[in-house]
Amino acid sequence: MTNDVIKEAVAKQQSGDRKLAADNSVLGKVMTFNIGEQIYGIEIQYVLEIIGMQRITKVPHVPNYIKGIINVRSKVVPVIDIRTRFGKPEIPVTSRTCIITLSFNDTSVGIIVDNVADVEDIHTGDISATPENKSVNTNDFIQYMIRSDDNSSSTKLILDVAKLLDEQET
Amino acid sequence: MAKIEPGMEAMLDMYFYETNSLLEQLDEILLRTEQSNAFESEDIKEIFRIMHTIKGSSAMMGFDNLSVLAHKAEDMFFVIRENPDVITDVSFVYDLVFQVSDSYKAQIESIQDNVNGEYEQINFDELIDKLLKAKDKLSKEASGESTADDSASSGNNSAAPVGGDGKITVRVFFEDGCQMENLRAFLLVNTIREECSSLEYYPSDVETNPETSKEIIENGFLVTFPASDNKDYILKLIESALNVQSYEVLSAAETPAEKTESSAAAEVPPEPAKPVETVSKPVESKPAASAPAETSAEKTQTAVEKTQTAVEKAQAAVASATAQGGSQKQNLISVNLAKLDALHDIVGEIITTESMVISNPDLEGLELESFSKAARDLRKLTGELQDTVMSIRMVPLSGVFQKMNRIVRDMRKKLNKDVEFVMEGEDTEVDKSIVDSLQDPLMHLVRNCMDHGIEENVQDRLDAGKPAKGTLKLTAQNSSGEVVITVSDDGAGIDPEKILVKARKQGILVKPESEYTEKEIQNLILLPGFSTNEQVTEFSGRGVGMDVVKANVEKCNGTVVVDSKKGKGTTFIIKIPLTLAIIDGMEISVGDIVFTVPISTINESFKVEPEQILRDTDGNEMIMLRGICYPILRLHEKFCINTDVTDLKEGILLLVETNNKCMCIFADKLIGEQQVVVKPFPKYLARYDIKGEGLSGCTIMGDGSISLIIDTNTLIG
Repeated sequence: MTNDVIKEAVAKQQSGDRKLAADNSVLGKVMTFNIGEQIYGIEIQYVLEIIGMQRITKVPHVPNYIKGIINVRSKVVPVIDIRTRFGKPEIPVTSRTCIITLSFNDTSVGIIVDNVADVEDIHTGDISATPENKSVNTNDFIQYMIRSDDNSSSTKLILDVAKLLDEQET
Repeated sequence: MAKIEPGMEAMLDMYFYETNSLLEQLDEILLRTEQSNAFESEDIKEIFRIMHTIKGSSAMMGFDNLSVLAHKAEDMFFVIRENPDVITDVSFVYDLVFQVSDSYKAQIESIQDNVNGEYEQINFDELIDKLLKAKDKLSKEASGESTADDSASSGNNSAAPVGGDGKITVRVFFEDGCQMENLRAFLLVNTIREECSSLEYYPSDVETNPETSKEIIENGFLVTFPASDNKDYILKLIESALNVQSYEVLSAAETPAEKTESSAAAEVPPEPAKPVETVSKPVESKPAASAPAETSAEKTQTAVEKTQTAVEKAQAAVASATAQGGSQKQNLISVNLAKLDALHDIVGEIITTESMVISNPDLEGLELESFSKAARDLRKLTGELQDTVMSIRMVPLSGVFQKMNRIVRDMRKKLNKDVEFVMEGEDTEVDKSIVDSLQDPLMHLVRNCMDHGIEENVQDRLDAGKPAKGTLKLTAQNSSGEVVITVSDDGAGIDPEKILVKARKQGILVKPESEYTEKEIQNLILLPGFSTNEQVTEFSGRGVGMDVVKANVEKCNGTVVVDSKKGKGTTFIIKIPLTLAIIDGMEISVGDIVFTVPISTINESFKVEPEQILRDTDGNEMIMLRGICYPILRLHEKFCINTDVTDLKEGILLLVETNNKCMCIFADKLIGEQQVVVKPFPKYLARYDIKGEGLSGCTIMGDGSISLIIDTNTLIG
């Protein structure tokens, strides 16, 4: 989803127009997953597949959050540990630990997540922008958030795949 | 700005491909024939064909300026073709045709770079003007030396009949793509026959032989009639005839041979029922055979038939020859490189999968006789499949070499240096991707040799005891899995002193001057920004170039070495591995990581005894083997891997060698030999300098896990 779409959605909610604010159309789908208690999401168009944890071949001389490379049906894919990337402590691999492979601009990357939760719709009315305050490290990779009706703890942070994959190049 | 015609975009690729290969062919012919300074009739025909095809396809694509240019060049060659032996000085023609070919390339390039179908149209007026002048000059020359023509036109097998004195020959071209040119030509003959007292035409068997269409499309249809006839009226008839695109009146000198023929022509009344084969000269390829037949033809009807069979035979031979040529061309198809790459990838995966199946852990310890046999067969077949696929991607270097020939030719003229260009092994085949990346480096090297290498002053050469004519040599050969390309000149060589001075000035020295060996000094010139030439010339001197050479060659895992002797000449040696993708590898393990070492680099592997180990003052380990001391590199230290095997005598040492440099690498143990498909590291990792750390790529092993391929070259370096 482009930033413009997000801005538009946010603007709609904040505008006084009742009709616009009531617009709750579906903008797309996200796949949600957990890292610790927090729920994150990735827009579904970037997701190639979910594979179980497998042996990762280490590659020397790369940052510690790049765990190495794996073989996904004869393609060599690098694997990033999201936990390490976001400065969280590593936890032991469980049966629920997964690798989600993403594709963006012909670059494929796998990310290690604690577990995959769900696939759900994005409603215009639920979108909210990230706080302007950029002091928090992880904010860099969050494109927007999705509020949840029932309670605030299940707000989902939607990852900015472009930034996640291209960070050093920009 | 001009626009590419809508609807033609789809054809553009084909057009570029076709035209570029035709231009390359043209360059090749020109370079080959320029030495002798005379065109062989076959070559002229070929050039004619090329020009004509380009003309046609350019017109079809709507590139009018290109079409006109080709047309004018074609005109000029027509004069040459008609008088092959008359025109003695054709050197200026070469320059002109090279110019045409260059202009073509420039225009095509600009069309290729089009933005939204818009491209810069180059104005060819000046060049066209030159071509016209050249044509006039040539035709004047041709008519001036009439007597020399006779043996030529009757003996030469390419010359079409041209009307002699008192006769007018008209060349008629039919509209492109009007089809059945031969029948249209025949209709035309019928139309004008009434008006002519005698009539010759070529090709003569248009009525019966559809093969002649090709000839007519390429070279036009020639009609000859006596000048005494009503020329203007006949021309008008021709002009108004159906499907006639253009015609031109040719004039040529009379020859004795043709005189007799024209009299013969007068004797045989032109009747449509009895084609006039006797009067034309269709059997040019067999003049001896046709001459007696011709005389008898005048006497009896049966003889005419005889002639006809002779004619048909000769033509059948010609037709079969062209058919052969044609079918040879049709044996080649052009394939999109992307498809080949895909095929190549699939084959790589098949080989990997095959290993997965055959050395599957589930099979361990089982006695499977039939399975092993089937597995061996499969392995053999996949091996053949791989070889075939690799060979598809192999192309000879001759194309690149020809381009160098062209560069040498141009520079020879511009720099006024007398240099002979020698090529060896241009039929050496290498992977297509290598050919593409070799073009730039070779061009820079050749230019450098021409500009810097060969002495400016001939006297300098003579003083040094060398022949006045310089030699530039380009060689290619296969040797043990590598293609070795050398560019060498017998010029002044590289002066190490000069290089040092220059290097000092540019501040690119990294250690004290006295520590540089001669070889190292010479290889300084490969560094970016280095140029000893005092002046920046059109060809070289800006200091870019040599580093392009190095970068490009290194891109395909190759190496460049300079070898020069002051006063004797300079040789650049480029070595590139032949196949980039599949290697025989030795699997070694370090900790829980498996590495692959290319077997071609391994000299030996051995267990070591503690007493063989030496240490230098920094604590670096070395080993003495048969009197030679080699450094030891511990892979687990190099790549920071945790392993239990740290004692040298527990693990294993591999002696590896690349580029005449040796070292021992220390690993935990050998796992085994395997053919592996080299895969580059994923794009995401490209930002980290993994390659600089001695890993050239990775590969997927039989069990699906990934092994890292060690690049011994960077590891040693």
